[in-house]
Amino acid sequence: MINNKELWENALVDIETSISRANFNTWFKNTSITKEDSGTLYVGVPNEFVKDWLQNKFHKLILKTLMSHSDNIRCVEYIIVKHEPVQKTALKTPTNNKELPLADLYINKEDNLNPKYTFNSFVVGPFNELAYAVAQAVIENPGTSYNPLFIYGGTGLGKTHMTQAIGNTIKAKYPNKKIFYVSLERFSIDYVNSLQNKTPNSFKEKYRKYDMIIMDDIQFISGKDKTQEELFHLFNTLYESNRQIIFSSDKHPNLIHGLEERLQSRFASGMTVQITEPDYESRIAIIRAKLESSNLVVDPEIISYLASSLEGNIRELEGSLNAVIMQSQLKNKGISVNEVRQLIKNNIKAKKTVAIKDVVKTIADYYEINESDIYDKTRRKEIVRARQVVMYILREDFNVSYPLIGQKLGGKDHTTVIHSYLKIKKDLQTDQLLVQEVEKIRMMFK
Amino acid sequence: MKIECTTNKIKNAIIQAERITGKNLTLPVLGSILLIANQKLLTIRATNLSIGVDIKIPVKIKEEGIVAIRGDILSNLFSNTTKDNIVTFESVDNTLHVTLDNNKSVIKTIPHEDYPTLPIVSGNEFVISSKKLTEGLKSVYYSASISDIKPEIGSVYIYPEDDNLFFVATDSFRLAEKKIKLKQHLDFSGFLLPYKNVVEIIKIFDNINEDITITINKNQASITTPNLYFTTRLVDAVFPDYKQIIPKEYTTTATILKQDFINSLKISNIFSDKFNQITIKIDPNKKVFELLSKNNDIGENTTNVQTALTGEGVEVNFNYKYITDAFQSINTDSITIFLYGNTKPTVIKPVGDNTFMYLVMPMHR
Repeated sequence: MINNKELWENALVDIETSISRANFNTWFKNTSITKEDSGTLYVGVPNEFVKDWLQNKFHKLILKTLMSHSDNIRCVEYIIVKHEPVQKTALKTPTNNKELPLADLYINKEDNLNPKYTFNSFVVGPFNELAYAVAQAVIENPGTSYNPLFIYGGTGLGKTHMTQAIGNTIKAKYPNKKIFYVSLERFSIDYVNSLQNKTPNSFKEKYRKYDMIIMDDIQFISGKDKTQEELFHLFNTLYESNRQIIFSSDKHPNLIHGLEERLQSRFASGMTVQITEPDYESRIAIIRAKLESSNLVVDPEIISYLASSLEGNIRELEGSLNAVIMQSQLKNKGISVNEVRQLIKNNIKAKKTVAIKDVVKTIADYYEINESDIYDKTRRKEIVRARQVVMYILREDFNVSYPLIGQKLGGKDHTTVIHSYLKIKKDLQTDQLLVQEVEKIRMMFK
Repeated sequence: MKIECTTNKIKNAIIQAERITGKNLTLPVLGSILLIANQKLLTIRATNLSIGVDIKIPVKIKEEGIVAIRGDILSNLFSNTTKDNIVTFESVDNTLHVTLDNNKSVIKTIPHEDYPTLPIVSGNEFVISSKKLTEGLKSVYYSASISDIKPEIGSVYIYPEDDNLFFVATDSFRLAEKKIKLKQHLDFSGFLLPYKNVVEIIKIFDNINEDITITINKNQASITTPNLYFTTRLVDAVFPDYKQIIPKEYTTTATILKQDFINSLKISNIFSDKFNQITIKIDPNKKVFELLSKNNDIGENTTNVQTALTGEGVEVNFNYKYITDAFQSINTDSITIFLYGNTKPTVIKPVGDNTFMYLVMPMHR
């Protein structure tokens, strides 16, 4: 079977001979077949005038011609497609005028989505593949497969990119769905304004009319009791009518401080996925994708250097990469590893160091026990647990050596430390309560 | 077709319609005006496939019919008549006989079967007085970009908020925003009118003083009055979220009598360079507001303007043209200029009128 492009080209050749040249140029220029759907061909036209005219005047001719070229066409519809402006090289008039900084501000007013976030520019790696898979499932069946979808992860790991990309993809796939992207802060301000203007009903209506709501940075809900209540009611309304809701946050719903229990359980009722920090290979992929989009070829050595020295946060990774790109564009030549090293030395985070004493104090405070008990040889259960967590955190997060940990915690043998470390590590896989405790403790060191 | 009517009635309609006819288009019939005589109305139709217009005039119809006739010929014929006389049109075979004053013309007609229909728009609908629409458009359209490389800024953006209708245009060097108060609360998400079509809308609707109905959908809009149907394509793009670049705070403000400022700018511009650069130097402590311009081939000029100043001293360069453009939509006696250093956008507002705002980027040198 021939494809749509060829089909339309063949048809155009026939049509061209049966009508006048002027007519052909006026009405058939810039047309194309945009899609085919069970026997219906959709012809893309540049504007409404052309649509009307093709429909009224040439419909029979087009249908007949198309049918003679392909057997399984039953009808033809016309739709208006955005006409890509011809890429003219802009006349560079010499001007000293600065431009208004509008370039990055193309946000769709109707749904608040920024079209620059798509899955095309999204790098999938082990750190976000689960989230990505769930996102695809949501796009396939919005509202039914995973509702609500709760995406959480540290700052700058691509939560906003992912949620917006879901919105943009669904928008492209189901043009009739009304989607709305809002940050929790905006939602809260909207709510307060509606109270101030005495129009709470129009606020309620505004949010309830959407088929899908994406709410970003939900962690800021802590302490906003009235907003929580409003969100609770909104959630119920949307959820009951199977409308997709997507949240993003920097922590697990159970760890959001001051979040009412009924909301907590609702957030976690659908699907909760975490985006973690990208591993080395993913970082390389991200750097490559970024370089590709700016059409730059860089020595693989530099890429691997960047990937190994810039850990964690993708946003910071992009920042450092921008500096490198700028530099090489400025110099108009390649850039050496040494120059890169100079350039990004400030961006490399020193390994976290912390006084062991402080760690002990924080953890002792958290478990509400005496700091000195940790150093003692007490075998009381709650103390032992706390002591083991201290050892685990020191080893896992701060890379302190086993013997040093033992020595600092009241002269214990390094095998004791190893045992404690492994025990907590193992328990973490089964004990949800412990996971939460460790998460909360980690928050305190940030 | 055979009709009879007074010259005055039909003259304006033909001249208006002729402006819309397509020029340089591949299809010759688009360069013509379609005259449709049906029942008691003569419909004059013209389109260039971006705009379409139907003007209806009541005339005496002796015989119904349709003819397409070259627009420029017909409009030239009418623009040279001043007397209000009776004009008759009569089609004979492939010609149209026009009797006007004491001349008689025989004009060749063009086969009208190829003349396109005008799209009928259905969608969101609202009513606004034509004066308000043209006021809004006139206040901002000159700021739109005239190139069509970026269609979203080569147009005027219109959107409702509460019971106001906002008109915005920018060419990325300056931006104008006008707020028009409406009686009703509108709920649609805004649309973009192409710059060239805005010029035509202003020309046509400025002479009308009645309520008009505007209907919009994603790609097309129509403006309707009892005897006029106007339809235009819309730009299907997203206008930049311009509110984010409006400075929220200022370090310097200057309040000036508008006419004083315009006169001083004109003098200053005599000496400006080929980039039309004029420097504004403000020193609130010494109460100085100076316009400086310098052209290596001509000489230089310093003009002092009486102003009320507050804030810090600043020296900023502007393109003369971008500043003076703002005055065509300011009707108050004085204006206030809000500055925030010499790299951030500067805002010009009329004093005592919060419906208009003009934003201009400084030149850097």
